[in-house]
Amino acid sequence: MLSLLLWRAGLLLEFLILVRAVRSRMATKFPYFYGYIFCVFVVSLGLYISNEVRPDFYETWYWPTQFATLVAGCGVVLDVVEHAFGFYAGAERVARVACLAIFGATIFYVGLKAATQAELTPLAVTVGLERDLRVTEALLLVTVLSIVFYYGIALGRNLVGLIVGFGTYVGASLITLAVRAFAGPRFNESWGILQSSAYLLSLMVWTIALWSYSPQPVPVDRARLDGDYEALASATREILNSLRSYFKRTARS
Amino acid sequence: MITLIIYLLIGAGLFVFLLALALRKGAPVEGCGQEFVEARQALQTLRSGLLPADLIEGIFGRGDLEYVTAETVPEIHRMFLTERKRISLIWASRVRLEIRNLMHFHLGYSRFQGKMSLNTEVRLAIDFLVLVLACRALQLVLFARGPYGAPAIVGVAAGAAARVCSISEKSLAFLNPLGGATLPNDTGSGGATIQL
Repeated sequence: MLSLLLWRAGLLLEFLILVRAVRSRMATKFPYFYGYIFCVFVVSLGLYISNEVRPDFYETWYWPTQFATLVAGCGVVLDVVEHAFGFYAGAERVARVACLAIFGATIFYVGLKAATQAELTPLAVTVGLERDLRVTEALLLVTVLSIVFYYGIALGRNLVGLIVGFGTYVGASLITLAVRAFAGPRFNESWGILQSSAYLLSLMVWTIALWSYSPQPVPVDRARLDGDYEALASATREILNSLRSYFKRTARS
Repeated sequence: MITLIIYLLIGAGLFVFLLALALRKGAPVEGCGQEFVEARQALQTLRSGLLPADLIEGIFGRGDLEYVTAETVPEIHRMFLTERKRISLIWASRVRLEIRNLMHFHLGYSRFQGKMSLNTEVRLAIDFLVLVLACRALQLVLFARGPYGAPAIVGVAAGAAARVCSISEKSLAFLNPLGGATLPNDTGSGGATIQL
C-alpha cells in the first residue's frame, strides 16, 4: 500500500516537473535532466499500468527499464558539469579530465569483473551493473563538487537543487543496493520502500528548486587576464618554494 | 563485507558533500578583481605585518625573556611565557591565513584559464596543501615547546621575509599595467584618472 502511494506521488511530481519545464522553458536549459525525468516518467507510468493489468509483464520489464533510466541518469552529470563550469574554462578542463578518468576506471573495472566471474545470471548482472553505475555517478558528483569547492565556484539555485536532488537519490540507491546485496531477499521489501522514498524526496527537491529559471551567477571583472597561466603558475610556485624553505628551516631550528 | 563498507563510505561521503553544498553560503563571484585585491593585501600583511625581522625578533627573540627572568619574580616570568606563547600562536595562525589568501588568489585566476597545465595545477594543489599543513605543524611545535623552542627562527625569518616579499611582488607585477592610462581630460581640472 505504502509503495503504491509513493509510486503515485512520484508520477504526479514527475508530471508536474515536466509541465513546469515546458511552461518556464527550462527544458532547453537542462536537456539531459529533463530527458531523464521524461524517460523515468514514461517507464514508471508504463510499469504502473502493467502492474495493474498484467503483473507478469511488470516482473519481466522492471530491470531492463530500470537499467535504461539508470543510463539516462548519467546524462544529468553532463548538465551539471556544463552549467557549473560554463564560465570557468580552467576548472571545466580539470573536471572533464577527472570525469573521463572515473568513467575509464569504471569501464575497466566492470569489464574485469565480467571477465573474471564464472556464472552470470541476467538479474545478477543488472543488479551489479546498477550498483556499479550508481558508484560511478556518486564518484562523479563528489569529484565535481570537490572541484566546485576547491575553485570557489558559485552555483545557482537550479543547479544546487539539481545536484542535491540527484545526489540524494544516487546516495540512497547506492547504500540500499549495497545493503540488499549483503542482507539478501529479506531486505527486498524495505529496499523498495527506501528507494522509492529517496526518489520522492529528490522529486520534491527538484520541483521546488526548478520551479522557475535561476541563471548561474556570472563572475565579473575577469577580462583582464586572458592568458599567461604559465607566468601565474610559475610565480605562485616560486612563492610556495620560498615559503616552504622558510618553514623547513624554522622546523629544523 | 569489505565491499559493503566501501559502498557505504562512498554513499556517506556523497551525503557529506551534498550537506556542505546545501549549507554553503554564496561563493564569491567577483572573479579575479577581488582575488587580486586580497592577494595584494595578503602580501602586504606578510611583508609589513608578519614577517619583518624586527617583529619576529620581538616575538621570538630571547632578549625580553632574559630581562624578565633576571629582573622579575617567577610569577611574572610565567605570565610572560604564557602571553608570549599566545602571541606566537596568533602569529603562526595569521601566516597560515595569508598563505590561504595567496592560494585563493591563484585559484581565482587559474579557474578561468583554459590553457592551464593540469600537471602544474595538481602539483600546486599539493604544494599548497603541504604548506598549510606545515603551518599547522608549526603551530603544534609552538604550542608544545613554546615560543623559544626554535631559537634560530629570527635569522631565518628575516631572510625568508625579504625573499618571499620580493618574489611575491614579482608574481603580481605581471598583472599590473606598465603605466596608468588616463582618460582625455576634457572635463576641466577635476577630470577623472582611471587606472586600467
